[in-house]
Amino acid sequence: MIESIVRATLLGVQSGMTLALIAAGLTLIFGMLDVINFAHGALYMLGAYFGSVIAVEFGSFWLALLLAPLLVGVVGIAIEMFSLRPLYGRNPLYHILLTFGFAIMIQGAVVQIWGGQARQIARPTMLTGTLSLGVVNYPVYRLFVLMISTALIGGVWLAIDRSDLGIIMRASAHDTEMVDALGIDVSKVFTGVFVLGAILAGLAGVLLGASRSVNPGMGMGIIIEAFVIVVIGGLGSFRGAVLAALLIGLVTSYGALIAPTLTDLLLFGLMAVVLMVKPNGLFGATEAA
Amino acid sequence: MVRKPTKGSSNYERNSHRDRSNSDQSTISRRRYLRTGAAVGTAAAIGGCLGGSGESGDELTVGYALPFTGTYAMLGESIVNGFEMYLEQQGGEIDGREVETVRRDTEADTNRGVDVTRELLIEEQADAIVGPVSSAVAIAIMDTIESEASAIWLNANAGDYRITQDGCLDYHFRTSFNDWQTSAPLAEWVYENIADNVCLAYADYAFGQNSKNFFGEAFEEAGGEIVSEVGAPLGTDDYSTYLGQIESSGADAVFSFFAGSDAVGYVSAFADYGLNEEMTQTGSGFLLSEDTLPAQGEAALGMYSLLHYTPAQESERNQTFVENYRSAYDSTANVYACQGYDSAQAFATGIEESGSADPDELSSALSGMEIDSPRGSFRFNEQTHEPVQNMYVREVVQSDGEQPVENQVVETMESVEGPTWGCDLS
Repeated sequence: MIESIVRATLLGVQSGMTLALIAAGLTLIFGMLDVINFAHGALYMLGAYFGSVIAVEFGSFWLALLLAPLLVGVVGIAIEMFSLRPLYGRNPLYHILLTFGFAIMIQGAVVQIWGGQARQIARPTMLTGTLSLGVVNYPVYRLFVLMISTALIGGVWLAIDRSDLGIIMRASAHDTEMVDALGIDVSKVFTGVFVLGAILAGLAGVLLGASRSVNPGMGMGIIIEAFVIVVIGGLGSFRGAVLAALLIGLVTSYGALIAPTLTDLLLFGLMAVVLMVKPNGLFGATEAA
Repeated sequence: MVRKPTKGSSNYERNSHRDRSNSDQSTISRRRYLRTGAAVGTAAAIGGCLGGSGESGDELTVGYALPFTGTYAMLGESIVNGFEMYLEQQGGEIDGREVETVRRDTEADTNRGVDVTRELLIEEQADAIVGPVSSAVAIAIMDTIESEASAIWLNANAGDYRITQDGCLDYHFRTSFNDWQTSAPLAEWVYENIADNVCLAYADYAFGQNSKNFFGEAFEEAGGEIVSEVGAPLGTDDYSTYLGQIESSGADAVFSFFAGSDAVGYVSAFADYGLNEEMTQTGSGFLLSEDTLPAQGEAALGMYSLLHYTPAQESERNQTFVENYRSAYDSTANVYACQGYDSAQAFATGIEESGSADPDELSSALSGMEIDSPRGSFRFNEQTHEPVQNMYVREVVQSDGEQPVENQVVETMESVEGPTWGCDLS
């Protein structure tokens, strides 16, 4: 029993931190660009597919981990510059329709190119096997994912909170016109935020693609979870997204232990309860980032 | 009510085998289509008025009710490939009659499945329905097939036993397998060769539940003990928690039903947690099939599964089939291609035997008929029209082929006869 609980906790924290990579991008894009990005799950899936292709072609997981997110970033640049930019400031419905369209297009393209069969990303031998953590044996690779996700989330948080770039980003979100008047190219900042989000999603795709499976349905599956997280954490709040991601990760893994068929229900139940108590989410509205 | 055929719709493709060698195939078949389409439409209209039969000239029409988009697209394509390969080998003709094939995409959706089946039967006057892939679609189209009573149904993949138990249709012939066959026969083998106690792990939906129930009953009957049961929702992302439960069951072996991307995620996580060293993984053949093994790779080594077909099978019949398939489609044959191929064989031999495309005559010709399949010859049970076929226990081993691992047959169970579920068509 203790084993199961320890294992579920480890899994919950690990999947929570990886989910945070996806949710953080989603919430940053919403907080700063006011865009609800439905294509975020598709970008996550693209990361996994790019990763699996690179890992097969070059035989290197590390190269896949480095290159695939950057390629997803390039796709992000294209989406932001050529389609989202003309729509800023319009009714959010336009953004939803556009990005939802992208999600469907990317998913269709993936099936066309790589087919409907599941793929995998091969891991380097140094990350295989299990490590004994006292009561349980835990796969080395999953510990690696936990560490790298935590480090990345910490890095992004520091960058937003402390760096000059972070201050400009937050300022642009708060008052675009003023930042523009001060001589800063706001459109570049917006592109940057979108690309950062895309890269984080791509990274999560490679990290999870190597421990789960890479398949055309993975994007649509994760986007629901990511939205629940963003709503619970408070739309636009980075801190909230990370906290909510951990919460959802733990709820999902404990849920699977107790009532596997009810995990989805638990997820949405949690969201409903949070929204009843705090309609703006845990950290919503009162802070910008 | 006769509706006009929709022209040029994306999931619609007509293919005449006599035209296949022609370089400008698409234009010709489009023109042909317009002509025959109009002719068939008129014929159907007149037929409808007179309430007459649906015999349309000398041509035979085969309707594919299969998924060509979505998760199961690969399965649909493989079945079509297998079917058309056999037709090619016959010069595109059966019993001197040209064969035309019509594709309709079920999208693995029950409503869509019923619609396309009706279209194929009524508008296209299909003599045979090939498909579907999904059991839910198969159960949904039973009524249509029965009430139209105008075509033979070659079930090239949907394995739910309830099609026989609840439907028990005269026109239904399973050219594939049923869920009892891919689970229950393994139980005794596991009991005798692997362990006397198992944990059952399954994807929590109809097919997964059927499989684990069949295995569980047979295993207990053999004298074994079911230690624990673990059900995971279809499409689970991460199997860690479920694997924890499987591990703490303390069983010496596990019988699993997962398929597609679930099977990939489950098997790699199983190896990840080092459970390979604690218990033996066994399962229905879809856990470790040709569409999942490349992704599962070495994580799957040493696992056992049960299926009616394995491309690596060392019979001359199968080797020829695999080679022909490779030269035709530049890919390895899989179980779905074999099921498509056998559907074509069944259709052809049925027509030749009865000399007619009348579904009632076809049905009595096919009942009890022996089919010379790449999987080893099988026979349609007279009572249920289920295939009485060999089942193969396979082990995943290292391979020196293009993929790192492959299935190797370790035991053959000959002509496995399943339950009849109260169905008696004889």
